[in-house]
Amino acid sequence: MIDPGASAAPAEASAPGRRRLATLTAGLRRWWRRGALGQRWRRLRTAWGRSLRLRVLAVTTIVGILALLLISAYLSERVRDTLYEQRVDEALSDAATRTGLVQQQFDASTASTPALVQTVANDIVRRTQSSGSGAVGTLLRRSPTETPVTSLITFTVGTSVDLSPDLREAVRETGTQHWQAVELGPTGSGRPGIVVGSVVAPPVVGPYELYFVYSLEPEEATVVLIQQTLALAALVLLGLLAAMALYLTRQVLGPVQLAARTAERLASGHLDERMTTKGRDELALLGRSFNEMADSLQEQFERLAGLSVVQQQFVSDVSHELRTPLTTIRMASEMIYDARGDFDAVTRRSAELLHTQVDRFEALLADLLEISRFDAGAAILDVEHLDVRTVVRRAVDLAAPLAERTGAHLVVEQPEEACRADIDPRRVERVLRNLLANAIEHAEARGIEVVVRADSRAVSISVVDHGVGMTARQSEQVFDRFWRGDPSRARTIGGTGLGLAIALEDARLHGGDLEAWGSPGVGATFRLTLPRRAGVKVTHSPGPLEREEEVPEVPNQLLGPSPASVPDLDVTHQETR
Amino acid sequence: MTSTILVVDDDPAISEMIGIVLASEGFEAAFCPDGEHAIEVFNEANPDLVLLDLMLPGKDGIEVCREIRRLADTPVVMLTARSDTVDVVRGLEAGADDYMVKPFKPQELVARVRARLRRQDHDASERLQIGDLTIDVAGHRVMRGSETIALTPLEFDLVVALARKPWQVFSREALLEQVWGYRHQADTRLVNVHVQRLRAKIERDAEHPEVVVTVRGVGYRAGTPTS
Repeated sequence: MIDPGASAAPAEASAPGRRRLATLTAGLRRWWRRGALGQRWRRLRTAWGRSLRLRVLAVTTIVGILALLLISAYLSERVRDTLYEQRVDEALSDAATRTGLVQQQFDASTASTPALVQTVANDIVRRTQSSGSGAVGTLLRRSPTETPVTSLITFTVGTSVDLSPDLREAVRETGTQHWQAVELGPTGSGRPGIVVGSVVAPPVVGPYELYFVYSLEPEEATVVLIQQTLALAALVLLGLLAAMALYLTRQVLGPVQLAARTAERLASGHLDERMTTKGRDELALLGRSFNEMADSLQEQFERLAGLSVVQQQFVSDVSHELRTPLTTIRMASEMIYDARGDFDAVTRRSAELLHTQVDRFEALLADLLEISRFDAGAAILDVEHLDVRTVVRRAVDLAAPLAERTGAHLVVEQPEEACRADIDPRRVERVLRNLLANAIEHAEARGIEVVVRADSRAVSISVVDHGVGMTARQSEQVFDRFWRGDPSRARTIGGTGLGLAIALEDARLHGGDLEAWGSPGVGATFRLTLPRRAGVKVTHSPGPLEREEEVPEVPNQLLGPSPASVPDLDVTHQETR
Repeated sequence: MTSTILVVDDDPAISEMIGIVLASEGFEAAFCPDGEHAIEVFNEANPDLVLLDLMLPGKDGIEVCREIRRLADTPVVMLTARSDTVDVVRGLEAGADDYMVKPFKPQELVARVRARLRRQDHDASERLQIGDLTIDVAGHRVMRGSETIALTPLEFDLVVALARKPWQVFSREALLEQVWGYRHQADTRLVNVHVQRLRAKIERDAEHPEVVVTVRGVGYRAGTPTS
C-alpha cells in the first residue's frame, strides 16, 4: 500500500521536530487507512486490479485527453501567431503609407506659423484617420525633448492609448517605424491592439511623433471561435474514443469472460458446456480452440469413466455369476458336513475344511460385491432417524460372545440421553461389527471401550482397544483393501481384508468419517463420526479428542471448529439443501 | 401327505442340489429348467410351493410369477443373485410371497419353505372384524358384507395378524417375524410391498386406507371395526 506521509518528512528536520513529524505522519497514515478517502482509493485500486475494462477505458480516456489538449494548444497557438503576425504586417505597412501621406501633405502645405500648422495638422490627421483603413485612432505627439511650441498641442483622433516611454523614445531616437502591443480601453478590458509610431516633420514647428492605433479584436474573435470549435471537436472525439474503447473491450473481453465462465462450468463437472462462436476472427478462434479442448477433455473423461464402468460392471457380474455355483457348493458342503459323523477321520476333516472355507469364500464374495457397489456409486443410503445407542447396543451384543471367547472385555460408555441421527442402521451396524471384530482380534485379551459422544451436529462412536496398536504409517494404510498390518500375525477371526475398507465407504456414504490412530503396544482407536442430519457433511467430531494428544502432527482443521462456534443445526441443514 | 415343491431354475446343478435337500427333508420336488414351460409343469405337478429363479431363459421369473398368480394362490419364493436391484421389488409386486438371495444354506431354504407351507393354526369358530371387513378364519375367507374377497394365504395371514390385535401397532420387523417367520432382521420391503398388494384388494380407496392403517415411523395397525 502507498504510504503518502513518508516522503513528506524533510531530511534536515531537528530531533524534536522529527518526532513531531513522525507523530503527524503516523496520524496521517491512520487517517488515511481509516478514512473514507483511503477506503475509496483502496476500492478503486481493487477495481483497477480486477477490471481490464476499467483500465483500458481509463488509459484510453487519459491518453485521449492529453493528446487532444496538446493538439488543441498547438493549433490555437499557431493560428493566433499567424493571425497576429499578418495583422501586424498589415498595420505596419498601412501605418507607413499613412505616415508618408501625412508627410507629403505637410510638405505641400504653405502654412508658415505654428497656428496655421496646427490647423493644417489637425486637418491632415483627421482626414487620414477618416480615410479608414483599420486604424481606430491616430495620435500626434510632440517629442518631449523638443522645445514645446506654444499653440501646437498634441492631439488625438479616435481611440486613445497610453504610449509607453520606451516606444516613444525608440521612435524619437531612430526616427523610423516602431510598434508595440497595447490594450485598448481601460486596463484589464482585454481588448487587444497595436500602436505603430514614426516621426513626421510638419513645417515650421519641427519633428512630431505620429502614432496609429489598430484593433486586433476581429482577430481575437476569430481565435476564440477557432478555440471553441477545437474544444467542441475535442469533446466529441473524447466521447467517441471512450465509446470505442468500451466497445472494443466488450468485443474482446466478452468472449474472454464467456471463456472464463465456461471454463468454470467445465471445472465444476458440466462437461457438456461449450462456448458459442461466430465469425472467423481471433476471438472465434479462441472459442473454437476452447471448445476443442473441452471436447477432448470430455472424450478423455468419458473414455476413462466408460472403462471404469466396464470394469465395475465386470466385477459385479463376476460376483453375481459366482453366486449360483456357490449356492450349489454351499448346499453340497452343508450336506457333507452334516453327514461327517459317518466318514473316516481324513474325509471328516476334509468336510470340515470345505465347510469353513466355503463360508469364507462366501464372505469374501459378499464383500467384493459390496465394494464394487461403492465403486460404481450404486450404494444407496437408506436413512432412518434413530438413536445411535440402540445400534451400538445391538452390535456390541452380537460381538460379545466372540469377545468373551478371546478374553477381551467390552465396555460401552455413552450419554444418558438419546443420540438420534439420520443413519442407515444396516450400514452403521456393519461398520461397528467390523470395528469390534478388528478390535477383538488385536486387543490381546485386554479391555475394549466403545465410547459414544454427541453434540448438536454430529455423533461419534469410538472403538478403543489396548492391544498391539499401530504406527502412524499403519493407521494410514489400515483402510486399504486387503491390507494386513502384520502378515506374520495369525488370523484368529478371519475376515476378508475388505471389512475396514467397506466401513470407511459406509461412513463416507453417510457424509461422515472414519479415522484410525494409535501407537504400537499401547492400542488403537477407530472413530466413526456421523452427521446428525443426512446430507450434512461432518467437519468435526464430538470426541473423544485423544487424537490431538497422541498424534500432534495432525492439523487442527481435521478436528474442525468447536460445536459452540458453528451455527445451529437446523439452519445449516437448510443452507446445505 | 408330502408337499410337492416346483423348482424353476435354469442351472441343473442347483436344481438337483435343491432337490436333494428337499428330498432329505421329506418333500417331493418337480423341476423346470426354463420360463417357457414353467406354467405347463406347474399345471401338471400342481405344487404346494414354487421356488422360482428370477433370471430365466425364455421368459423371466417375474412374468412366470405373474402367470402363476393368475392361476392360483400357491406360495412363490423367488431365488435371486441380486438383492439390491429393482427386480426383487418387481417380483414381490408380481405376487411372490418371499425371496431368497443366493447363496443360501440348506437349513435356510428348508426353514423358508416350511414357513410358507405352514398353515397357521386357526380356531374353528374364530371370526374377526377389521375395518368394514369380516374375517372367517376357519373358512379362510374375508368378506365385505356378503362379497368374498380373494386373498393369497400370505395376505390372509397378514390381515389376520393385524385383526387379532387391533389395539397393537405392528412394526415391520414384528410382522416379518409373525407372518413370514423370520427370526433375524430381513428386508422390510417385503412388508411394504405386501401391504400395498393387500390394500389394493381390500381397501375401498387404496389412497386412503381404512383397513390397514399406516402409523408413521412405527408400522401398521388394524382399522377400527365399523360394523
